[in-house]
Amino acid sequence: MPEGLIQKTKSTIEPGATAYDGKRMHVKIYAPFKTYYDGDAQSISAVNETGAFDILPHHHNFMTLLSACDIIVRTGKNDEKIPINRGIMHVKKDKVIVFLDV
Amino acid sequence: MKSPNEIEREESAMGTLVELTSVFEGIASMRIAQIKNQVLKATQFFDELWGIYSQLRVDTSFRFGRSQVEEDEIIDKELYIIITAEGGFSGDIDQKLIHTMLKSYNKEKNDIIVIGHHGAVQLAQRGVSYQKYFKLPVKDQNINVTPIIRYVQMYRSTSVFYQEYISLMVQDVRRIELSAAVQAKGQRSESPDDVITEANYIFEPSTYDVVDHLERSMLHIAVSQLILDSKLAQYASRFRAMSASHQRADEAKSDLHLLYNRAKRSLKDERLKEIVNGMKKIRSGAVT
Repeated sequence: MPEGLIQKTKSTIEPGATAYDGKRMHVKIYAPFKTYYDGDAQSISAVNETGAFDILPHHHNFMTLLSACDIIVRTGKNDEKIPINRGIMHVKKDKVIVFLDV
Repeated sequence: MKSPNEIEREESAMGTLVELTSVFEGIASMRIAQIKNQVLKATQFFDELWGIYSQLRVDTSFRFGRSQVEEDEIIDKELYIIITAEGGFSGDIDQKLIHTMLKSYNKEKNDIIVIGHHGAVQLAQRGVSYQKYFKLPVKDQNINVTPIIRYVQMYRSTSVFYQEYISLMVQDVRRIELSAAVQAKGQRSESPDDVITEANYIFEPSTYDVVDHLERSMLHIAVSQLILDSKLAQYASRFRAMSASHQRADEAKSDLHLLYNRAKRSLKDERLKEIVNGMKKIRSGAVT
């Protein structure tokens, strides 16, 4: 997929399925005093004001305020489910950072 | 002179005090290490947020996360936030803090918010009224400063008076302008070269919302850290007080032990004197 193409879609990926096998991104989900996830992932799902969405590798640069939801990190082996109240997500060059509890 | 038994009881009570002060000293020292660790973690988080914020900013002013608030809704006063201890075991540092704050306080130009019961009592004793009192948070993590931030956003500017931890033995009172505090914290972190704009990023719901959220987040962290800093100074002050009490109690216990030995010796000497006198009397034939 060409660099820069927006891949923001409504959540349509089945749990466990990966659209980009072999292509991964780095995900870090943390709050000022605790890190909830820090590692590679194939995709990450969350909810913002517009609705549910997924982030896959090669996603366009993206910043969004997250609504209360369960963030799902698909690692390829097992899914990590992290319930949140609010947060901010920053996506840049296959690096996803989610700042929580602020 | 007190009897040896009496002194022994006092020495035992003093021994309990030595142990107690030692325990309190240990607790304070442990809490200091824990809070230092929390401050370090929160700083890393703040630095990363600041990195994004500084890429996003279009000007150098910090707007307290209220870019969409009308100018006339903002109270044209400077808000004073004073962070004091919850209880009275904090030495004289709270009095020093209030004294510093009152030097620049003007009823017409300033409103006060107090964090910590001790500060509220001190102000009431001086007849100074305050807008709101908040309890000093007991926990050191995830401190909910949202109600304080709401007040901060209502005022033109905010200054925080807090106790600064310099070292285990030295704590001082400090005044800091809140937006300057946020910017000073940010300047410590590396400034990235990239610029984040709507041309190279997608923002949801909007750029302004994201900037406001980032400013609010950094305010939260800055205020939380000032509270943690104050708690650190309070624990250090408590540690110092406990350390001094421990030393005094230890010295008093040694003195009592010396006194006990002297009393015992004096009792023995007294008895010995009685025996010798008795024997003298027997020898001289005064007693049969």
